Amino acid sequence: MALNGIRPDLDAIIQLIPPKARVLDLGCGDGELLAQLIRQKQVVARGVELSEVNVRACIARGLSVRQGNIEEGLADYPDGAFDYVILSQTLAYLDHPIPVVSEMLRVGKRAVISFENAGYWRTRWRMFFGQGVGGDLCSGEVRARAITLPQFEAFAACVDARIESVRLFANDRPVRLLPNWQTKVAVYVLSRAQ
Amino acid sequence: MIVQTQYFHYDGEIKLQSGATLGPITLAYETYGRLNEDRSNAILICHAWSGDAHVAGRHSPDDPKPGWWDDAVGPGKAFDTDRYFVVCSNVIGGCSGSTGPSSINPKTGRPYGLSFPIVTIADMVEAQRLLTDHLGIQHWLTVTGGSMGGMQALQWTVSYPSRVKSAIVLAATARLSPQTIALNEVPRQAIYADPNWNNGDYYGKTPPNAGLAVARMIGHITFLSDASMREKFGRRLRNGSDGYGWRFDPEFEVESYLNYRGHSFTKRFDANSFLYLSKAMDYFDLSYGLPSLADAFRKVTAKFLVVSYTSDWLYPSWQSKELVRALLQNDIDVTYVEIDSNYGHDAFLLEVDRLAELTRDFLKRVEKTH
Repeated sequence: MALNGIRPDLDAIIQLIPPKARVLDLGCGDGELLAQLIRQKQVVARGVELSEVNVRACIARGLSVRQGNIEEGLADYPDGAFDYVILSQTLAYLDHPIPVVSEMLRVGKRAVISFENAGYWRTRWRMFFGQGVGGDLCSGEVRARAITLPQFEAFAACVDARIESVRLFANDRPVRLLPNWQTKVAVYVLSRAQ
Repeated sequence: MIVQTQYFHYDGEIKLQSGATLGPITLAYETYGRLNEDRSNAILICHAWSGDAHVAGRHSPDDPKPGWWDDAVGPGKAFDTDRYFVVCSNVIGGCSGSTGPSSINPKTGRPYGLSFPIVTIADMVEAQRLLTDHLGIQHWLTVTGGSMGGMQALQWTVSYPSRVKSAIVLAATARLSPQTIALNEVPRQAIYADPNWNNGDYYGKTPPNAGLAVARMIGHITFLSDASMREKFGRRLRNGSDGYGWRFDPEFEVESYLNYRGHSFTKRFDANSFLYLSKAMDYFDLSYGLPSLADAFRKVTAKFLVVSYTSDWLYPSWQSKELVRALLQNDIDVTYVEIDSNYGHDAFLLEVDRLAELTRDFLKRVEKTH
């Protein structure tokens, strides 16, 4: 299923976006997902990205992006400006996920959120038999939250979101059994609960 | 690249934003590159406070200095004159060939001085629109500029939405902040305080050079940044001196820089023009008379590239972000980049390599979608 080299969650996101949709990608990085969405789905693509280097890479791909912090910048968009607002593998790094996801549901008809499942068995294995809870301090990686599938579903309820669909992956294979153990990456589609 | 300044004369009068009229009008302008057959490759560059029509190239082979943005305009540069037909004109109210307070008022046969009407950024654009018609250009592929030039680019998209395909707005704002108005008022006061200014009536006499030099020094402080001053001058003393002289002559390199810049400015710039252009900027507020800034852009269709610079304290990034927000509220296609630079406001003139990459990529997209 996965396109050559592209992350399985990005592939799943591309599958679920309908043609010609209006899409905003928060933390769009170098613009790979938006570029694919334009190529495969002819979407109207917009991006927000914090790093100047990544913004330049996006502009070089011919994308319309703005440099900014997604925790502040969503206020700039009017209600319902997009069909889909995407937050791919960024939720774990947000200081304040509640206002961001609430804003995603305001400016977009649907929010698409992907994240690495902290309930994945290898992660649990590392927790019990490796060095325990927490990340590698030497790696220089920025601080991230551990999010499990049940935690995310509880979070969706507390931002008044309805879960429209879920796709779960272990590497590039869909997951069927014991989802919170087997899932490495999850892709949720949310809309506002009425 | 050898280029000649040309002059466009308009015999009629234009109605100014204030309600006053001005005419006849002369505009000094220069062009670079060739207008293509379908007239779709024209770029208008708008200059900042102290600029002129001479944006690039030299006036003769032995001309010692090229135009004010030669690094960005020319073959293969950010605004590639092999691809684009580039036009730059001196603004009305200026003093480098276009009608301004030092021009002769045809009604009196004497220089206008303070009888010259107040002109605004919108009036500058209106005069440029006459030149645009004269050149047979229906659409600008892009209108661009930094600082006051960026304000004109914004005004173009608002005044003539159907004639501007894109705007590249550098180190600018949609409305001046009180801090910037303050930083314009002090230079004006320096000119008023020079007895030679004589209420603007000094043509044929000694001009208010002392006042104008101080005014320009203040300007230069606002164009730099704390970091760029530390880097450029530090506390170094001039002429390699290794100790204090215990006197009031300029001793620090930063002092001699400001003195030199201030005094050389008086040789090429008219004090009244300086006053009029500063006032034009103070009055610039696209939301004037409207409920919000977003309302200013309701009819705008241009694509935007907005660039701010981290150390610019004259037109800080928050003002570009305010502009971007107003554009987004109108669903306008806007790309925004904040360039990390220590050069302060001057960065828009100096960070040319990083700008060139952005303009090339942005213009490629604008050309493709029209």
